[in-house]
Amino acid sequence: MPVYRHIYRPYSGRLTPAWSRSLVLTRYGLAEAWSSKITIALFTLCFLPVIVSLFGIYLVNNPLARVLLGAQRPQVFTIDAEFFLHDLQAQSWLALALASWVAPRLITFDLADNALPILLSHPISRFTYLLGKFLALFASLSVVTWIPCLLLFAYQGYSSPGAWASAHLGIAGGLFLGAVLWITLLSLLGLALSSWVKLRVVATGVIFAAVFVPAGVGAVVSAVLRTRWGFLLNVPVMMTLLWQRLLDAPGISGADLPTGAILLTLLLVCCVCLGVLNARIRAREVVHG
Amino acid sequence: MAVIDLEGLEVRLGNRVVLDALTGALEGRAIGLLGPNGAGKSTLINTLLGFYPPTRGTARVFGLDAYRDRAQIRGKIGYMPENDSFIGNMSGVAFVRYMAELAGLPRREALERAHEALFYVGLGEVRYRVVNSYSLGMKQLIKLAQALAHGPRLLILDEPTNGLDPVARQRMIQLIGEIGRQGDVRILISSHLLRDIDEICDEVLILKAGRIVALSNIERERRSNRSFVELETMELLPHSTDRFAAAARARGCECACFPAGRIKLVLPDNTESRDLYRLASEHGLEIRRLHQRRDSLEDIFLRAMDGGSAIVGAPEAAATEDARRPTHAGL
Repeated sequence: MPVYRHIYRPYSGRLTPAWSRSLVLTRYGLAEAWSSKITIALFTLCFLPVIVSLFGIYLVNNPLARVLLGAQRPQVFTIDAEFFLHDLQAQSWLALALASWVAPRLITFDLADNALPILLSHPISRFTYLLGKFLALFASLSVVTWIPCLLLFAYQGYSSPGAWASAHLGIAGGLFLGAVLWITLLSLLGLALSSWVKLRVVATGVIFAAVFVPAGVGAVVSAVLRTRWGFLLNVPVMMTLLWQRLLDAPGISGADLPTGAILLTLLLVCCVCLGVLNARIRAREVVHG
Repeated sequence: MAVIDLEGLEVRLGNRVVLDALTGALEGRAIGLLGPNGAGKSTLINTLLGFYPPTRGTARVFGLDAYRDRAQIRGKIGYMPENDSFIGNMSGVAFVRYMAELAGLPRREALERAHEALFYVGLGEVRYRVVNSYSLGMKQLIKLAQALAHGPRLLILDEPTNGLDPVARQRMIQLIGEIGRQGDVRILISSHLLRDIDEICDEVLILKAGRIVALSNIERERRSNRSFVELETMELLPHSTDRFAAAARARGCECACFPAGRIKLVLPDNTESRDLYRLASEHGLEIRRLHQRRDSLEDIFLRAMDGGSAIVGAPEAAATEDARRPTHAGL
């Protein structure tokens, strides 16, 4: 159907492999998410703690710079697991803000305009659709979590005298694993709640609420029943404990929960999110009766 | 090979049987899917797209199992849903390109085909506007454009003229007819508007309460040029219509009775109009008007709705197919 002739012609060219279709969804998802100025602003904001940490590492490893800044003590602070734990925490909570803005943009437009019947009538499965959206969100969150954290680690390894990096490889592993666990949870939670709520602004609020409201409830449960298990509803506490253990950093949280219980709770949350997505991402709703 | 082949297809949604033992082979270039609301037209389309698994039997599209081989089938299909279905904040060309890429076209080809498809359906001038700003008619056309962009072998159109004004409807019908005639595309069109189906299709499948009540090759019906007689009658004696119909059938006529004394008959070679007057007189029926006309889709539809059981017919198909299988309509 050439433009000038206005006739229909069938397509006989090559086709892309089936596995690459989820990347099409990822590409269009990223384009949609990053077309917003608020996304750009949030993304920029996410790098402020990284810049501060970068300056800190530079300062610690550069005595001349310390003297020029008028520092009295030879060492302002040390670059250790605790330093990177604070970095990871800062990046992770900023990632929550970014996820709560980006996730609804990936899903709600499709749901609000009822695009799923058309999207899923193409040779893609529901799994491919979700994988594409998940990858878009996961990639966006990776850029503000484990990637800058590992770059800081690499910079510290490069700047410090001796074999600092090889002696502290556990920190790098902990940063990567801790961040990946968190952004996987955030991605699934963000997509599930966005598919459930449909309205973009409300979905953003609901994602925040899903993290902080159970935390409040958990704190009340722990205080009233005098039990530590209430913290299993408290995602910030659970993640902080998990990150501490992964980085082998000194405890900064008063709570104590077994690692197995934390992982099991996170797994349960992920399963519930997948259940919601399975129920909501359908070309057609089945009316039982 | 039949475009669509149904064998005892049953689909349940919850506890409800929505499609019940559908059997038939659809071979036409443009197939019409007719039926009242709730007959199962959209469920059949969704089953062919692999959205609903059959609870019993099979549905095949181009010989492929509609559920098991759904990914392959979807690559060959262009689907235009009944309701609004698009991504409103995208421009027309971006949306159609996106859909073409999902169908497997490389980026460059997808963009090229998106432009072509939009010009083809008449949206060339507005292709950079966001879809949300389109009128209802334009939204229908962009759904058609995205269904065409990847060059499908089968175009499934669910109520394509829904909500269109007469001019836009005519344009849409013209376009669909043109696609059917020009390319290698087969068309399955679902509509409750008989006129749409009559203008485009050469085969029609009529559903009622989840069952096939007629599967008719309209083109063959038209070609057969059979002589139909339509009577308007008044009963002089109780049940005289039934007795008249029975006597007519005994003489080899095909006969269907409708409310308000309307009777339609196909006369065999040895029967003439005056024989009908004689039969009517013998059975206490007064013929008030008689006119001879050709069968129309409306007749097939009304009869199917009135009867409820499958209307079967074409001799060559009936001879080869299973007796259970409805083929092409008679009467």
